[in-house]
This record gives sequence, C-alpha cells and structure tokens, in this order.
Amino acid sequence: MPEIGPVSLILLTNRCRFIDWACTHPVLAISMSNLAILVEDLVKVYEERTDHPVRALDGLSLVVRQGEIFGLLGRNGAGKTTLLRILTTLSRPTAGTVTVLGLDVVQQSYAVRRQLCAVLQENAVEIFLSVEDNLSTYARFHSIPRREIGARAGAVMEQFGLREYRTQKVIDLSGGLKRRLQVAKVFMVDKPLVFLDEATTGMDPINRRTTLDAIREQARKGRTIFLTTHMLEEAEELCDTIAIIDKGKRLAVGDPRTVKSFGSRVVDIRVTYAPPGPASVARLSPFPLMRLEHRNTTIDVALDADRISPFEVLQELGRLGTVVNLEVTEGSLEDAFFELLGSKGDTPAPWRDRP
Amino acid sequence: MEGPAVTMILAVMYREYRIRTTSLTWAFYDLIMPLTYLLLFGIGLDRAFASGITAGDRTVGYNAFFLAGVLSMASFGIAINTAYGFFVDRDNGIFYEFLTYPMTRAQFLVGKIMFNCILSIVQAVLTISMGTLLLSIPLHWETAGLAIAGVIVGTGGWFFFLSGFALRFRRNDMFNTFINIAYFLLMFASSLFYPLEGLPDWLRAASFANPLTWHTDVLRFVTVGIGTPGTIVIEAGAFLVFLTVSFFFAVRTLQHGVVK
Repeated sequence: MPEIGPVSLILLTNRCRFIDWACTHPVLAISMSNLAILVEDLVKVYEERTDHPVRALDGLSLVVRQGEIFGLLGRNGAGKTTLLRILTTLSRPTAGTVTVLGLDVVQQSYAVRRQLCAVLQENAVEIFLSVEDNLSTYARFHSIPRREIGARAGAVMEQFGLREYRTQKVIDLSGGLKRRLQVAKVFMVDKPLVFLDEATTGMDPINRRTTLDAIREQARKGRTIFLTTHMLEEAEELCDTIAIIDKGKRLAVGDPRTVKSFGSRVVDIRVTYAPPGPASVARLSPFPLMRLEHRNTTIDVALDADRISPFEVLQELGRLGTVVNLEVTEGSLEDAFFELLGSKGDTPAPWRDRP
Repeated sequence: MEGPAVTMILAVMYREYRIRTTSLTWAFYDLIMPLTYLLLFGIGLDRAFASGITAGDRTVGYNAFFLAGVLSMASFGIAINTAYGFFVDRDNGIFYEFLTYPMTRAQFLVGKIMFNCILSIVQAVLTISMGTLLLSIPLHWETAGLAIAGVIVGTGGWFFFLSGFALRFRRNDMFNTFINIAYFLLMFASSLFYPLEGLPDWLRAASFANPLTWHTDVLRFVTVGIGTPGTIVIEAGAFLVFLTVSFFFAVRTLQHGVVK
C-alpha cells in the first residue's frame, strides 16, 4: 500500500472543511490531534479597500504535524512572513481558517500565544538591556519560575557562546551577536511550538551549526519547529517536511526527498579541470541549462534531462580543458526550487558566473 | 499564587524597570530633567520676578507658581519617553515579538501604564520634596494626595495620547518631528510656565484648548491653591474626557493599526 505523504494529506484535508480536532480523520485514519498546524484555503489581502490590493496569500493550505521540523521556502515576497504573522497571531486572515494545536488563531489568539514562541525576521532584542537581562525578561514573559531563570540563562549563554557578553548592553553588540541572542531566547522556554523566521541569517558557520543542532535537539524533545529560510541546503538537512510557496500559493510540499523529486529530471554536473582551468564557458551557451556556475577551475551545471542530453553537455564540457574530476548527481533541493519557480515563467537567474 | 494576568503585568513592569535602572539616559529624562527645570529655570525666574507673579486674584512667588508646571511637565515628559520607547521597540522589531507573547494587549498596556504611574509618583515626590525643602514653597499639604492622584491621571492621559501616535508613525524622522512640535506647542501654549491672563487673545484661546493647561491648572489648585473651584472642576472633567478618548485611541491603534 502506498504511503500517504503530506501532499496527499493536504489534498484530502482540503475537501474536508469541517474537522473535529479531537476525532480521527475519516479518510486518513490519523488522529487530528497529532497535527500542530492546519491551514486551510488561507487568503490574506493587504490594502483591501484600495485600488491596488495585494494578495499575499492566495488559497494556501498546509499541515504541520506535531514534533516535526517544517521548513517553508520561497523567494522574497512569496508570502512566508505573512503566513508566519498569521500563525503567531500578529495578523488576521482575510479568508480561510488556521488552527494551531487545535486553537483558532483569530477566535482564540491569546490561547494560541500561550503555546508558542517566535523568532521574527527583525533583530527583535531589547537594545537597552544586557544580554542576561534579555534572557531573564523573556523568561518572565513566558512564566518561567524565577528560581529557574538564572540556571537556564547560564546554560543558554554557554550553548550560544554569549557568556562573555553577559553584562554587555545589546545596543553595543554586532548584528550577528544580536541575532544569536534573539535565537537563544526561544531556548529559554519550553513552548510546544517554535516559529523561526530566517533564524540563522547573519550567523557565522560555527554559530549556525550550533543553532541547527539546538533546533534538532528541541524537535527530538517533541517540540514542533516551523521555520522559514532562504538557505536551501539548511532546509534539506534539517527539515522533516518542506513546503515551497510562491505568490501566496503552494507549489510543493512533502519530505525533502519528495520535494526534490520535483526536480528529478535535473542532473547536476561538476567538472574540475587541470590548471589553468576551462576555456571559455561561452561554448556552453547554446545549451538551455538551468544553471551554470564557473569558479576558478570548476564548472557547475544543472540541466533538465528532458530537454538536453547530459551526454552532449558532458562532451562539450570535456572539450573545455583537461578534466581531473567529474561528478554527476541527481538534482538538489535547490534545483527543485528553481524548477518549481521557473515553471511559473520567471526563473530566478539560472546563469551565474562567479569570479 | 500569581495568576497569568498578574504575572504578565509584572513582567511588563519588570522589563521597564530594568531598562530604566540600567540606563542613566532614561533616569535623566524621567527624573532629573524636570528637577533641573525647577532648580535652575525656576530659581532664575523667581529672582527675575522678585515681586511675585499674579495669577487670578493671587500673587505668589514664581517657584510656587511653577511647581505645578514642573509636575505637569514630568507627567508629559514620562509619557513622551514611553511613547519614544514604543517607537524604538517597534523600529527594532521587539514590539512585534511582544505581541506574540502569552499576554493580552490590555495586559501589555496596563503593565506599561502602571510602571509609568509609579515613575511619575516617584518624580512627584522628588519634585515636591525639593520644592518645599530647598525652595520653601508653601505647599497645601492637605491636598497633596490629590496632587499625586492628578499626576497619575495626567501621566495616563498623555501616555495613551502619545502612544497612539507612536504606534502609527512608521518613520523615525516623522515621529521625532511630531514629538518636537507637540512638545513646543503644548508646553508653550499652556499655563505651564506663565499665567494666561496677560497673553494675547489667540495664544490664550489656544492655551485654554490645551489639555496640558487643564492638567497644570488642576495641579496648581491642589498644590498652592491658585484657581477657582468652578473652573478647576470643568478643567478636571475635560482632562478626564481627554484621557478616555486617548485610551480608546491607543487601544484601537494597538488592535487595528498594528495587527492588520
């Protein structure tokens, strides 16, 4: 029997308008109480009463299961932040329904807020307070007992390398440190649902790794993590489920492998040449490649195998110089992302030449 | 055991307390600046008008006249600083994060206003103490409690009024311009620094329409007894209407202007 993936789940829940949260779904035979987030036909229109309304979300439906790491991907303006704002009760839907842990985000917004903590896109930190005060005030807002706050703050500062800045005012910290502190705050509390909007932006690789490990650890403890990111490799590595949206609509959803399959016709080729490197890459211009990156002695190519023969491209690549290494792999999440967005008629810059 | 509402209100107050107590800048603007007005500007004018200043049918020393102005200015100043704090919070994103915290909008506002009221009480006690001990201002001690109540109500009114604007303005330069214009227009077109009797008609009319005049006149009546009870009752009523309208303006802005 084929496994029912999240894609199918959403298609089915879309037909099922009235769901009793506590009951077992009649078609899927899964308990609806296992769902952390249910978004159905969500529409958000800004400037509704003007001549130029902006339709940020356009009939979006999603399901997030409890305890999973869910990644929301999309280019700028796709509707990611709008969705996050609605899920965290910062914004109201124009139409559609959104439930978080069985609670309606409009009718039960206060109860919803009691279940979540969020890192928003801005550097949301208390700039006039010290690092330690930022953590302790955040803990108080989330009702952590006072006797536990000190120990938790110490552990979080240790984990995120903030101990040496403990007494420093945040206004004096660099952008990267502010971001680190902002992310560290959510690890002070034990809310079942965590929203992270581009949490690792601006972090160096070491802190990024620390943050990703911490997120994974929290998911293992049963917390549901909902994150948005521009870093596709990060999403591929971290997430149990990925959704790609554009112009307020869902393009794809599923586990990383499923989503990557949308780019399954994509073949990645990496060729490394002996110095001085390849001759002019302009010889590849007749091929309708999805991506071409040339850096020093290496050329990276992504192509749609339905449109071009990989062998023809390989032959041409072989003529550019002395090949010392050759890798041919199936498409990555990035390829799927480009292909999905490209299928909407405006592929984001597939040709990139790096000096 | 503390209920969730109390916990949230205390958390808001604790946050304000930490910001104020770890920064000399805030302490200066909230507590010291009004006192410097009283102890420098006030003393200077007190010497300049050595024969006293006539307001209504009474002549008093400038320091005594100005005491209510300083109290009123302190309420106004604390509200301006809080409004500025709102703006800074929104500008750097923490304000939106607050709105995702497990508290209602009302708890957030109540925490803010309660802290501001405590701050204004501390400020009023400092001002009155300095005024009576150092400047020998003849205070009406029997109505000192009303003065403190007046300071609290005044802080609330200005807090709601200015916060509503702070939440609506998007740009820093626009907000700063608004605050500066409001500061100068409201402070100088009022009875804060001088009696209104001798002013040109247009300035007197503008001053009578200014809530800062109403607030100052009430405080002046209860601290040094200047003013007539009939006028003071009308001014107190007008200020309460101003406070109520400002409260709904702030709440509406918070519910509809910010969360769209």
